[in-house]
Amino acid sequence: MKDRLFRDILPQVAKPARYTGNEVNMIKKDWARSRVKMAFAFPDVYEIGMSHLGGKILYGLVNEKSPHLLERAFAPWPDMEEVMRREKIPLYALESFRPLRDFDLIGFSLQYELSISNVLNMLDLAGIPAWTQDRDDSCPLIIAGGPVVFNPEPFAGFFDAFLIGDGEELLLEFLDALEVNRELSRTEKLRRLSALEGVYVPALYSVEYNEDKSLKAMIPRFSDVPPMIRKRVVKDLDDAYYPVKPIVSYMELIHDRAALEVMRGCQRGCRFCHAGMVYRPVRERSRAKLEEQARQQLQNTGYEEISLASLSTLDYSGLDPLVKNLVRDYGEKGIGVSLPSLRVDAFSIELANEVQKVRKTTLTLAPEAGTQRLRDIINKNVSDEQLFDAVTAAFKSGWLSVKLYFMFGLPDETEEDLEGILNLLQQVKSIGDRYSRRPVEIRASLACFVPKAHTPFQWRTQNSIEELEGKRQYLFKRKRKNIKLSFHDSRTSYLEGVIARGDRKLSAVIYRAWQKGCKFDGWSEYFHFNWWMEAFGECQIDPNFYTERSRAYNEKLPWDFIDIGVSKAYLYEENEMAKMAETTPDCRQAGCSYCGICPSFEINLDIKEANNYAFES
Amino acid sequence: MLLRAKYRVGPELKFLANLDMMHLMNRALRRGNIPYALSAGFNPHIKLSMGTVLPVGLWGEQEYFDLELSRAMDLGEFMLRMKESLPPWLEIKQCWEIGSDLPSLMKSINAAAYVFVLQAPALNLDQWHAELLARESLPVASRGKKKGLVKDLRKGIYKIELLEDDIPKKVEFWVSVGEPLNVRYDELEELLLDTGIEKKTILDVYRSGNYVMQGQDFLTPSEKVK
Repeated sequence: MKDRLFRDILPQVAKPARYTGNEVNMIKKDWARSRVKMAFAFPDVYEIGMSHLGGKILYGLVNEKSPHLLERAFAPWPDMEEVMRREKIPLYALESFRPLRDFDLIGFSLQYELSISNVLNMLDLAGIPAWTQDRDDSCPLIIAGGPVVFNPEPFAGFFDAFLIGDGEELLLEFLDALEVNRELSRTEKLRRLSALEGVYVPALYSVEYNEDKSLKAMIPRFSDVPPMIRKRVVKDLDDAYYPVKPIVSYMELIHDRAALEVMRGCQRGCRFCHAGMVYRPVRERSRAKLEEQARQQLQNTGYEEISLASLSTLDYSGLDPLVKNLVRDYGEKGIGVSLPSLRVDAFSIELANEVQKVRKTTLTLAPEAGTQRLRDIINKNVSDEQLFDAVTAAFKSGWLSVKLYFMFGLPDETEEDLEGILNLLQQVKSIGDRYSRRPVEIRASLACFVPKAHTPFQWRTQNSIEELEGKRQYLFKRKRKNIKLSFHDSRTSYLEGVIARGDRKLSAVIYRAWQKGCKFDGWSEYFHFNWWMEAFGECQIDPNFYTERSRAYNEKLPWDFIDIGVSKAYLYEENEMAKMAETTPDCRQAGCSYCGICPSFEINLDIKEANNYAFES
Repeated sequence: MLLRAKYRVGPELKFLANLDMMHLMNRALRRGNIPYALSAGFNPHIKLSMGTVLPVGLWGEQEYFDLELSRAMDLGEFMLRMKESLPPWLEIKQCWEIGSDLPSLMKSINAAAYVFVLQAPALNLDQWHAELLARESLPVASRGKKKGLVKDLRKGIYKIELLEDDIPKKVEFWVSVGEPLNVRYDELEELLLDTGIEKKTILDVYRSGNYVMQGQDFLTPSEKVK
């Protein structure tokens, strides 16, 4: 297989290094001696999948800490897919070059709703039926994890099981249980696995709908099948496995650097934020641990940059000394530190300057909305003044480029809020012109708001494509010179919204869309909105049912059976407060906001360092 | 301190683009704790300069890079540390300290040799070889910047050698690279196909060497050091 690939197949495709494996630090375990053989399948192209931190964690965890084996597979780019289909090359794993069908288990990472069409395409390339009921005992089990599976129902037809929550807490347990029950039939095996906390086996539940097509009931088929699925949580990040010898790819990745996960979860409580709700509570990693992981990672990889990853890195209590120490220890070697987009209220020019010592970066800030009223509605507790202070300091320090993240189509948004975005941008530009010696570049990225499951806005309507397009044109026509606006595709966001709050009936639509040729839906050049609409029509399902309908509080939601620890009562309260533009402060600074996660999981916010605030000014 | 290194890129790495190779080398230098020198400026980079680009799809027997170090280092120690930090398919064969007055690899390399490994071609290779050398012009479709134009390779092909009697046969082309005439390996492949060699019989292609041509002599970049 490998010889054929290298000689006949790969010379025909673009970026062949996507398909060769054998990278630095790759782990190739002995096939015969390994117990459960699992493939980690990422439903996007190699350079996206290899950038994903979760995949690196699970890869190291299984291969270094268990007798099982984990190999990797990614979605082949359409040129490679064409050659594979023509030459009858099955989808293979990069370590052993074995077909995916040879594995006991294939685990997909679902990071984005629309990657599901690639899942079906990868299964097809592997010669595995898409529907669970069409698989026999010779087929690997097909499972999924990741943020998207906190509402697994739209994908229920394709996966034998879902793993909900922090993967490193559950995966080894799952593999051990699979090994113990290896000889059982597929059905029996899955029933045993469903007993593990965090494992959801959709085939073990029957679903009933009301006449108005909303969910009536989800009933376990057997008495030993749990009615609620509780997510799994790593309680102490210092005790959790973290890879210090990750694979270093040959080709350039989207995130091509060493990553330190400084904390998991976020307590800010932005009402639109899915990750902020489902990954609660905040758990920090100690600074000593992070510094040691940085040292080992850099030694083992040779990367030229360390990124401090989390949902809100400026909130990490040990950030000030951590950044200073990293710059002190590695700056002279040309190794830089990078931060993700920054909160305006926690911004510190000292921190930004510290990071800039080694490499110059663009400053990225996320005010999210254009007026204070709308920021209060979404609970993004930052002010215009904080934004202006931050950019004033940045321009005074020599920055020439600022990028700002906004959303539009937010709940209760008015024309005034859109105008507010333009005004903010103009004022940022004016500040830049005042303090900078050269013309400054102001860029804004505008994402369409998509209400997500498990958030306070899960009951709200989503703007239609027409509404979003109208707003886009409004903003675009009024934008000032020398300010660049980039918009997310409203049709992609619409479809994302349908699936994000979808139910089990959507599996048929997804399958139909894939049959029509849908794949790489997150890539504009391959996104065929009309094929999706045809699929909805042929399955007699109205997509607007999922987006344009506001849900009553007493409606059963398809994801209610997933217990994320945050109570529905809290989400309800937050949604009501949003209607009154009332804010809820950060529980870390203002005391408990009673979201329910800590008592429910017998856990506490885990703040490792003494500092409870951002970088010291 | 400046050093020049000769290395082999094995077939496992033949699909790496030039930038990938730079990253691989840079990261190996960091893993090996080599005291590399950094450039000044907004985005400091390691002062590493590679020889001519090894095309994607080809492996190389004798490739070269120059590296500036921030302090003197024993060459044996350098090779040992790099051996530990590079993947096994990339091997530094030799290295030399060089003077700062030596022209860069990019400027000095002006010839290369490419080997085509052939599986029992239907035609008589000796006769094919003789006929090819006897031709006054060898036109192919240009693949580089002047894509689509017809390019005569004859002046850029210095010699063609049949390397082995056994099967598989090996044909080695010694060609001009850079200005004024750059002969690419894919243009040579086209020449083979145009002159009766079947595509399916080409088992492998690799670059066997990079040279500095002076008069009729092909000097290696390492010989230029001495």
